[in-house]
Amino acid sequence: MSRLTEQPRITSPIKLSEQQSFLQSLIYSPTTRALAALIIVFLIGLIFNADRAFLKWNTHRDMLRAVSVYGILACGMTIVIITAGIDLAVGSILSLAAVAFSIFSIHWGWSPWLSVAVCLAVGAVSGLASGVLVATFAIQPFIATLALMVMARGAAKWISGGQKISTAVQQADGSYVYAGVPDIFNFINSKVFGGNISVVTIIFLICLVFCWILLSKLRYGRYLFAIGGNEEASRLSGVPVAGIKMLAYGMSGLLSAVAGICQAAQELQGDPEAGVSYELSAIAMVVIGGTSLKGGRGGIWLTLIGALTIGYLEKILSINAVGEDKRLMLTGAIIVAAVLLQRTRR
Amino acid sequence: MNIECGALVAMTDITKAFSGVEVLSGVQFELKAGEVHVLAGENGAGKSTLVKILAGVHTEYGGRIVINGEAMHFKSVQDAAKAGISVIYQELSLVGPMSVVDNIFLGREKTHSFGWADCRSQTADVNKSLVELGLNIDVNRAVEKYPLSIQQMIEISKSLAFDCRIIVMDEPTSALSEPEVEKLFQIVEQLKRRGCGIIYISHKMDEIYRIADRITVLRDGRYVGTALAAKLSQDELIKWMVGRELNTQFPRHVSHVGKQRIEVSNFSLPDPSGKPFMAVSKVSFSVHAGEILGIGGLQGSGSSELLNGIFGTYGKRTFGEVKIDGDVFVPGSPGEAIDKGIALLTNDRKETGLVLEMDIVQNATLASLRKFSPACWLRPREEAAAVAKRATSLRVKASSLNQLVCTLSGGNQQKVVMAKWIETNPKVLMLDEPTRGVDVGAKQEIYELMNEWTSQGIAIILITSEMSELLAMSDRIIVMHRGKITAEFARETATQEKILNAAMGEKDRDYVKIN
Amino acid sequence: MKEFSKMLARGLLCVVVALAGCSDKKETKDPNGQAKKTKWTIGMSQCNLGEPWRVQMNADVKKWAEAHPELTVIYKDAQNDTLKQSAQMEEFISSGADLIIISPKEAVPLTPVVAQAYQKGIPVIVLDRRVSGDQYTCFIGADNKKIGKAAGKWIVNILGGKGKIVELKGLMTSTPGQDRHSGFMEGIKGSQLEIVFDADMKWLEPQARKEMESALSRFSEIDLVYAHNDPGAHGAYLAAQAASREKNIKFVGIDGLPQEGQIYVKQGILTASFEYPTGGREAIETAMKIFKGEQVPKGITLSSRVFTKDNVDKGGELLADE
Repeated sequence: MSRLTEQPRITSPIKLSEQQSFLQSLIYSPTTRALAALIIVFLIGLIFNADRAFLKWNTHRDMLRAVSVYGILACGMTIVIITAGIDLAVGSILSLAAVAFSIFSIHWGWSPWLSVAVCLAVGAVSGLASGVLVATFAIQPFIATLALMVMARGAAKWISGGQKISTAVQQADGSYVYAGVPDIFNFINSKVFGGNISVVTIIFLICLVFCWILLSKLRYGRYLFAIGGNEEASRLSGVPVAGIKMLAYGMSGLLSAVAGICQAAQELQGDPEAGVSYELSAIAMVVIGGTSLKGGRGGIWLTLIGALTIGYLEKILSINAVGEDKRLMLTGAIIVAAVLLQRTRR
Repeated sequence: MNIECGALVAMTDITKAFSGVEVLSGVQFELKAGEVHVLAGENGAGKSTLVKILAGVHTEYGGRIVINGEAMHFKSVQDAAKAGISVIYQELSLVGPMSVVDNIFLGREKTHSFGWADCRSQTADVNKSLVELGLNIDVNRAVEKYPLSIQQMIEISKSLAFDCRIIVMDEPTSALSEPEVEKLFQIVEQLKRRGCGIIYISHKMDEIYRIADRITVLRDGRYVGTALAAKLSQDELIKWMVGRELNTQFPRHVSHVGKQRIEVSNFSLPDPSGKPFMAVSKVSFSVHAGEILGIGGLQGSGSSELLNGIFGTYGKRTFGEVKIDGDVFVPGSPGEAIDKGIALLTNDRKETGLVLEMDIVQNATLASLRKFSPACWLRPREEAAAVAKRATSLRVKASSLNQLVCTLSGGNQQKVVMAKWIETNPKVLMLDEPTRGVDVGAKQEIYELMNEWTSQGIAIILITSEMSELLAMSDRIIVMHRGKITAEFARETATQEKILNAAMGEKDRDYVKIN
Repeated sequence: MKEFSKMLARGLLCVVVALAGCSDKKETKDPNGQAKKTKWTIGMSQCNLGEPWRVQMNADVKKWAEAHPELTVIYKDAQNDTLKQSAQMEEFISSGADLIIISPKEAVPLTPVVAQAYQKGIPVIVLDRRVSGDQYTCFIGADNKKIGKAAGKWIVNILGGKGKIVELKGLMTSTPGQDRHSGFMEGIKGSQLEIVFDADMKWLEPQARKEMESALSRFSEIDLVYAHNDPGAHGAYLAAQAASREKNIKFVGIDGLPQEGQIYVKQGILTASFEYPTGGREAIETAMKIFKGEQVPKGITLSSRVFTKDNVDKGGELLADE
């Protein structure tokens, strides 16, 4: 039994994605979903505005100031997560840089350019150490950066003698003398544009642009995404995988140092205990923004949205004086909700 | 179409749409007990969809399904399994670290009262079904410790253990060597004798004609026809599948053979996974510009390892000498090989050839990104223009170049990988199974492309497990067995039997004499 | 073969443990033995040196021990690990320390080893955090409730009985946080002080700053900030300074460390800082008494001082005992 039907041949295989309307693709784009979470949090703030505190610009300016240090860490974390890695050492490198910056600027009186340059170098070298462990010795990023997390924290405690490095300098006889606050600290701690934006927020913005250029405009960015998407295929296409990974972790270390400098300036001291658990906040910001922990997908503006989401959430809970126990539960619940919103529909 | 009574499966007027796009329309299919019914068609014809409807994976569809005279509409995979349907997919569904016994009884464990696992009776059952298949293995070992071919047999015995009468096999021989394929066909015979009906999906012409009792062809989601395999000629089958006349399947023509492009002398490589033997042992050959050298061999022959070794996949672990256009080249890393003008299309495009999350342009420029990014700054417009040119000349079918490659069909994906390698302007192009998982129409196009490339002076090395392809496209053939070359033939003197002999270890007397 | 080596390893382990236990030296102290000795070794077991306050405690011990050349103090830092601290205590016991000072991480896990030392005749002084039971020589510590209450009363005084207050609390799951809060509430009872905003800043300065920013944006009138520690008060000050409101607000903190709280008071950042004494000096003084054979009380509550601008150079003012 046979039958032959003559049918004209369809020249292209049926692909479902091209059948999605423009509206559908807009709704399912990662940016839209990240913005949805942010908008919802913002609306919550408008409703629970704590005696109209949420409607004042100062509240938003302060939120941006508070979120900037975490946001700078999240920038470095985004780069690393895109390669399907993770960096647990960012908080410790932050404290190492904060301590070093304070020692250089307050105790040794270095010029701000020199202090900043050396601190950035310290951060980059620490990050590269993680990178070497991951790329050359093929150690899992979780474990390699965990090791750096411990070592950098140890280094910070060692060079600071376990004490906060502040403008109170201990003399030989045990008494304390008050040294002046270096200008660079005051500058970073100040506000510009008529007192409406903190300098650290501007620094955060600069870091975002820097990462955007790296990820979208430079060849290295393409390589980072390729490695995260399929490391073996990238390697077999001639991508210098080891070098690019080291670069990623080096960048994360560098940005952690920037964050450390900002932290020290804002606290007017270098605290070797600073930055504990900051890596978790940074990861949360990246994930809520929509960059996938599996690597190969994501972007820096998504991380900005994630940072703002978490920043606003904390601020709203703070101005409403929500009790600590409820805060933890609410923050956890909203993070889960935001991640569920991120689920791709394939 | 008359549905005969007593048919195991009768599917009538099956229609299926995804988000408003029709993928199956008015499809008929019938399976009798004791027959092997091959389901044929190009990629995208709808074969997998039809099978998934039968297996209970897709529960919403139009049309009727009658199993053993009873109309059924499966609500789940378990439903279909209860009706005696079992599907063996290309991607095996075994859990690696679990033992053979546990895998076979996964989800249907036998228990004593109170839920205690009845290990003894499970082990006995499994041993019985495996012995039927001629397998004598330790059923308490983890499945991942067995080679892929054994795993496939374990998958098959899953169906046997549960008395399934309707068995679907989707490209079951893709990872099997010749002797294992024979074994499989024997099992299929056994199943036929037991009264099972087998739906067999395959792209390989030789197989289809060896095993099929009847053949049904789908094209673009529509039912084309059903015929007895004995009564349907190969040409007609292709016509049904493709809808047009294909003149010759293999249009190889040599234009001009030039100077030596690659010369390999005494090349050796220890086994990459650390086992104490040589994957490649003292291999020597050369390929000239405009020539295609085919490498034949069975699984484990070392041909893939040879090409990968030359490409630098394994780093500096190789021995021997490689010369490209007369210059000595020491394999170190893929990047160095690419710079030297060597390109390697790997045999697993999803794992090692493409970044599935990226689009066509990004994949196609990945190996040559440096030339598209002076001073490290990307130039997306130049990239897109270059890739557009390539995509047209390779006849890649996609709605836009910004499509993610994971949405392309197998043939188009393979063309994107080829575009990537041609973009590097290679002197030597090594192709490892370039037409695996590619439909007939696209295969044709790839053969024509190979002709084009050789006419441009590129030397091509081709590994293929499809005998007809090897015989038709190669200018010269070398055969490998366990890392060594056992024979070398010119196009005119090569035959299927000689190649198979050499692949199974028989050293060709003429080759041995010269070497 | 595998089984045999496991057994061998276990056997070796038993032998090693047994030998370690045997290092019990027989204490050859006679009842009045201490009078014969001229040099003493003190073991100082600190739970962690991450907190500056604990670094200060060790520094105080060192400073006051230096006044007595016959004392040698050996310091061990447990890095906040209970098991480590327990092991270090055992090291002190077996090396024959004449007296042990311990600031334990936690009460229950360290009680047995403290009791062990005590029963062997080694005097043990427990500093700042308690152990359970009574198997120790002397507990020296400050009373957070008292300090909180004193702070409350002081604040009532300085504000004239009424005003709007922001309370920035330490980790409220810890006793110091709870005590400093409950003491404070008792201290301001009956006055017209209103706590308009309170938050848990977990002892951290950046956190305190963030919470203070929220308070500032919500309330246009704030008279005083009471923070459970000086870093918190400092963070609040920085927030107020950034909003140009620091001159209208008073800041009160607790800890009073010379390189932190006292400096802030000197600089005018803090209006007052309440000392949370480390007890290092008292520990050495008590140790000397023990060596001289004197009786010491079971528990010594440290008195606290308040540092304000006028008295900080003179070493602060002692708070009255209640």
